[in-house]
Amino acid sequence: MIMEREWKRSRKSLLIWCLILSGLIIWLLSIFPQFADQQESMEQLFEAYPESMREMFQMNELSLGTLMGFYGIEVYMMITLLGSIYAAILASNMLAKEEGDKTAEFLLSKPVTRGQVVMQKLALILLNIFTLNAAAAFASFIGFQFAGDHKVPVKTFALLIAAAFLLHLTFAALAFLLSSFMKRTRNTLAISIGIVIVTYFFQLMSGLSDSIEPLKYASPFYYTDAAPIINENTLGPIHVIVLLSVSLVSIIGAFMIYKKKDISV
Amino acid sequence: MAIVELHQLTKRYKNNRGIEDVSFSIEEEEIFGFIGPNGAGKSTTIRTLLNLIFPTSGRASIFGKDIVRDSKEIRQHIGYLPSEVHYYDDMKVIDLLSYSGRFHRNFNEDRMKKLAKSLDLDITRKIEDLSFGNRKKVGIVQALLHEPKLIILDEPTSGLDPLMQHHFFELLREEQHRGATIFFSSHILSEVQKMCDRVAIIKEGRLVKVESIESLTKNRVKNITLTFEKENPSAVDLEGIVKQEVKGRDIKLLYSGDIHPLLDQLSSLPLEDVVIEEPSLEEVFMHYYENEGGEEK
Repeated sequence: MIMEREWKRSRKSLLIWCLILSGLIIWLLSIFPQFADQQESMEQLFEAYPESMREMFQMNELSLGTLMGFYGIEVYMMITLLGSIYAAILASNMLAKEEGDKTAEFLLSKPVTRGQVVMQKLALILLNIFTLNAAAAFASFIGFQFAGDHKVPVKTFALLIAAAFLLHLTFAALAFLLSSFMKRTRNTLAISIGIVIVTYFFQLMSGLSDSIEPLKYASPFYYTDAAPIINENTLGPIHVIVLLSVSLVSIIGAFMIYKKKDISV
Repeated sequence: MAIVELHQLTKRYKNNRGIEDVSFSIEEEEIFGFIGPNGAGKSTTIRTLLNLIFPTSGRASIFGKDIVRDSKEIRQHIGYLPSEVHYYDDMKVIDLLSYSGRFHRNFNEDRMKKLAKSLDLDITRKIEDLSFGNRKKVGIVQALLHEPKLIILDEPTSGLDPLMQHHFFELLREEQHRGATIFFSSHILSEVQKMCDRVAIIKEGRLVKVESIESLTKNRVKNITLTFEKENPSAVDLEGIVKQEVKGRDIKLLYSGDIHPLLDQLSSLPLEDVVIEEPSLEEVFMHYYENEGGEEK
């Protein structure tokens, strides 16, 4: 019932996010044929870019001239970044808003356990993130039609979508944990989005210099990097385990904190 | 059987005062008052009973079940009206009420509509458009609609106009006849006196006394301001005057006792104006403690 209620409340923004993300994906993929046609001159152009810059956008590992390379650099980047921000926004409010809006006193005086409240809200987050990724996959599929005779490697594509979902899940779990012990929704929201942006830059910058390279291990984006997935056609099991563990620990933490929490209004 | 039982229930906060060693019990089908000044710990006690906050020590049971361990089962049969009513702004009244009702096993839509109608509440309106008083009505319907065995009311009358208050009290009487037990928290003595069978008095987090209403009413105290025609009137001499203060043409009295000899006395005085009012809770308590101290009647 709580899940149903949250679904009604969140579906409008979910729809908007799905439309925007899908639109971007289709638009980006519609540009791809031009890239492919002018591949040679393009590559010469990018050769002129500084080495570090190319590394930052993974142009040395992926080629904009191939469909998957283009997808990895442009589209996948959009899906992971925007999707993570969506996941952070959604999850950071999920528990904290009941206290922020002072409706917790209503909800928790009903015959439900705290565990049920957390469970249902978590289920809604999973549903919404899944929906967003399904929309992204569907839009990509439409966008691939522009590519004409470029073939889509199904397994690679599936891995990329799975990786994006896993990444969104991780950020949602972290934000959900914050949401379980913070009271002010505005702070929770700011911190959650901050985590996404900062860890994204960790991943971007870590290629620039050896001294800050270890930073990448602190970034969930590193574990879902497109280049290894596309080039090796596999999602590293250790990477999956790292992200799943972070998610699981955050979710269990959220349960434990919320169960023992004094609800103040 | 006691419906609610508190045993040395204690809730301490880091900075604020909570409640300390509170013990009392409420019997079935009783209307039990809970009175004390603002900040005395009334809401803390209620919120602990509902397990919104966890007790630091002590224990309590409702329907014979532990408030922490069996909280969900207990809340199945509780109707709760918080002192400040906050709901989801995007919902209509009817959405909120059915959302609330569907959590409970015996949700009855007819009863919901009947309650709303009796309180003159339009259930098709959006909650964010409602006035404070109308939100309170939503809260009342929400608390009563699933025929709870125990109704917990925290400052229920604030925001209701006198007519609606009267209506609300009638509704509570009906609930009592249905078999409900009512826990009525307030800082207004007169409404507790009107409604309740017994009352617990709480002050600064500690239970002062549990008292039947008759013995409280025996000590009914009035604040009286007399305005005389001339300056510096002579003091009024009457049994039952607790405190007397002369100021310009005014005399302020704190009076406790039968109202008739007072009126007789007043009618013979050269008065320009009289105000008889309910004293603040603090004044009553001060008087109350004085009586406790020595001159017990």
